[in-house]
Amino acid sequence: MTACPKCHVAVEDSEEYCEACGAQLSPTVAANEPPPTEEITGRPPQDADLAGAESTCPACGGAVADDGYCGTCGARAPKRRDHFTEQPAPWVAAVCDRGLRHTRNEDAVAVAADAEPGSRAVLVVCDGVSSSVDSDLASLAAARAARDILVSSRSRGMGAGPSLIAAIAARLGAAADAASEAVLEVTRNATDVATADVPPAPSPASCTFIAAVVEGDLLVVGSVGDSRAYWIPDAGTATALTLDDSFAQVQIAAGVPRVEAESGPQSHAITRWLGADAPDHKPVTATMTLAEPGWLLVCSDGLWNYCSAAQDLANLVRQTSGTSPAAAAPLALAEALVSWAKAQGGQDNISAAVARIQPADGHVSGSNPFQPREEAPPNG
Amino acid sequence: MADFSAEVYQNEFLPDGGTDVHAVVTVTCTGAGAAGQVGEGDAAEIVIVDTSGSMGEVNIAMAQQAAAAAIDQIIDGTWFAVIAGTHVARMAFPAGRTELAMVQMDGSSRASAKRAISSFRADGGTAMGTWLTMAARVFATVPSLAQKHAILLTDGENQHETPEQLTAAIGAAEGQFQCDCRGVGSAWQVAEVRRIAQALMGTVDIIPTGAQMASTFETLMRQSMGRGVASATLRVWAPQGAQVLFVRQVSPTVEDLTSRRQEVSALTGGFPTGSWGDESRDYHVAVRLAAKGIGQEQLAARVQLAVGDKVVAQGLVKAMWSNDDTLTTRINPEVAHYTGQTELADAIQEGLAAKAIGDDATATAKLGRAVQLAAETGNDEATAKLKKVVDIDDPNAGTVRLRRSVDKLDEMALDTASTKTTRVKK
Repeated sequence: MTACPKCHVAVEDSEEYCEACGAQLSPTVAANEPPPTEEITGRPPQDADLAGAESTCPACGGAVADDGYCGTCGARAPKRRDHFTEQPAPWVAAVCDRGLRHTRNEDAVAVAADAEPGSRAVLVVCDGVSSSVDSDLASLAAARAARDILVSSRSRGMGAGPSLIAAIAARLGAAADAASEAVLEVTRNATDVATADVPPAPSPASCTFIAAVVEGDLLVVGSVGDSRAYWIPDAGTATALTLDDSFAQVQIAAGVPRVEAESGPQSHAITRWLGADAPDHKPVTATMTLAEPGWLLVCSDGLWNYCSAAQDLANLVRQTSGTSPAAAAPLALAEALVSWAKAQGGQDNISAAVARIQPADGHVSGSNPFQPREEAPPNG
Repeated sequence: MADFSAEVYQNEFLPDGGTDVHAVVTVTCTGAGAAGQVGEGDAAEIVIVDTSGSMGEVNIAMAQQAAAAAIDQIIDGTWFAVIAGTHVARMAFPAGRTELAMVQMDGSSRASAKRAISSFRADGGTAMGTWLTMAARVFATVPSLAQKHAILLTDGENQHETPEQLTAAIGAAEGQFQCDCRGVGSAWQVAEVRRIAQALMGTVDIIPTGAQMASTFETLMRQSMGRGVASATLRVWAPQGAQVLFVRQVSPTVEDLTSRRQEVSALTGGFPTGSWGDESRDYHVAVRLAAKGIGQEQLAARVQLAVGDKVVAQGLVKAMWSNDDTLTTRINPEVAHYTGQTELADAIQEGLAAKAIGDDATATAKLGRAVQLAAETGNDEATAKLKKVVDIDDPNAGTVRLRRSVDKLDEMALDTASTKTTRVKK
């Protein structure tokens, strides 16, 4: 096994040029030779343990007993998994919530960022498929595994050209591989637990995948399924960066109006996902240059169900972040978006990960919206 | 070491505005071991035998055999004593000492105790309060005791003491030791002896004839020796602002524990349950909560068994508010069964009390209701005993007639058995 000397993506010995960055593969370097890595530093040294219940009762402030109920008022203590937040740096935050109707939170988020605003960030959202077993475990394991791949930035000194985009896209592919492997591991563990007397799980754990990588003014997004990324500049036209791998998107592509397609009986059926029964999990990628101040939003359908069109979501974000978006706190914005979705009914789990992009004043160049690097999804 | 487990039976769904949660919690003990043998402290037994004049030559001879049979069941090493009761309490064994005492069972003390028992003579009156007072003082002579149990036998009314004196003696003995009480023949008062047994966490029953005394004593003592867990407490936690409506033992017998609450913490009450062998006991707990919104869930009670300060089993009683009638109207069979059995016990006791004072109308109504409840809850033993007191026209409607001539023993047997419950047929 060897790797590209330039972008360090794994390559076959028989290849002359790197699939990812196009660099000439002569000579190649051994893959196990550690490439110069610069890990993104803004992430918790240890992931929060989301098993178990909150230790303090949100209803009365009493201590929660080992049985999961408050020792004072008896309220059932929320599981830590039901609502959790991450804020690796002041300009990046994520909120993940059970919503109101589902009994467990099968969404997951994992984010990382360097401290310097607008420098480097990774935002991952996975939405567990609720008809499958242990999707809450699968989505969290997948999101964290993907983030762990993506924080290992090897992109410094590559400039901002096509080779950098290719390198990041290749890492998104590797991140999807790692996320998929994490999902399969959950399914394997579930199978281990099951005894011969118990019928096999109705369907293996599975989830969607979306990851956004910010490298200075470059944004690269990779997606499998129907979780989305939006670029919402403080002024002007907002952009949906991804196309859903969904039945609804197939219909939209065939000319059915968005509102109609997304409210149909099969609208939430996705055509691609991560999991043992997934047809494939190669992320569809898109890139963009972030030249204006604005918000990068990565979210699950628990949010966009209530606000699908990019411009509608932009209006919501602008209202929520107030008249001075540069001063708005990302965590407060993410929490507010989640609260808003719950106020609309909270029918599904809700994830919102945001990054505040604030280029230096005067640096305004034309943005480079939505360039799907891959072809549109098979059915899209 | 004994293993305890708790199982909860309830319908946790409450309708909109619903406040009252009922649950039956079954606590089961296995691996209890033998009394005083598991290193948790020593066990002690006192045999209290009525030797009043009314016992007569025949019954006193039977009582001697019964006491000896009980002595034979006591495990070596167990502390024990024998008290002969009349209008005063007399230390029958160990005797001839200046101070009260207990001795440990072995071959020699067993033989000496039997010799002392064989000298019983029927003579004098009855003052059971003095017997209980002496028993408490005798137990107190051995500081190492963790488990104290007595068997009390009587054949008559408590004539040589006022009810107030008996009440005071029971109150002083409560919590000091457990006492199973038996009355032989029909000249004793069920209500009076039940009062002793209930306060001292024991059972009450009738021994119709003297010949059955020995086997009864043997059984009682063997059961007591099988209780390796010296003492356990039922703990009931209810949320702040909630009201515990009642805590009842409902199997094997009905005992209302509500008034025995000892504060463990502001939200947790402790209810003494005495010693445990390998057995199951059912508790009916009712809690009143402030109603919450549809879809909300909360804990209504934690029902725990504690040995010392250690919680060894816990059952969670839950409340969930729902607007789904198919859920909220569902009747939990265990709760319904024991609600019926509790009412059955009350109906029998109230019916017999009314009959005793000549209030035939009330007696007919109450015993009719008892027949109905016994049929509904499948308590065949109660039905059989009721049939000896009333003629049943229609068990489902509860239509009965008081029988003209009733054997006093049958009436007393119905009374003592009134609190015995059957389990839900699964």
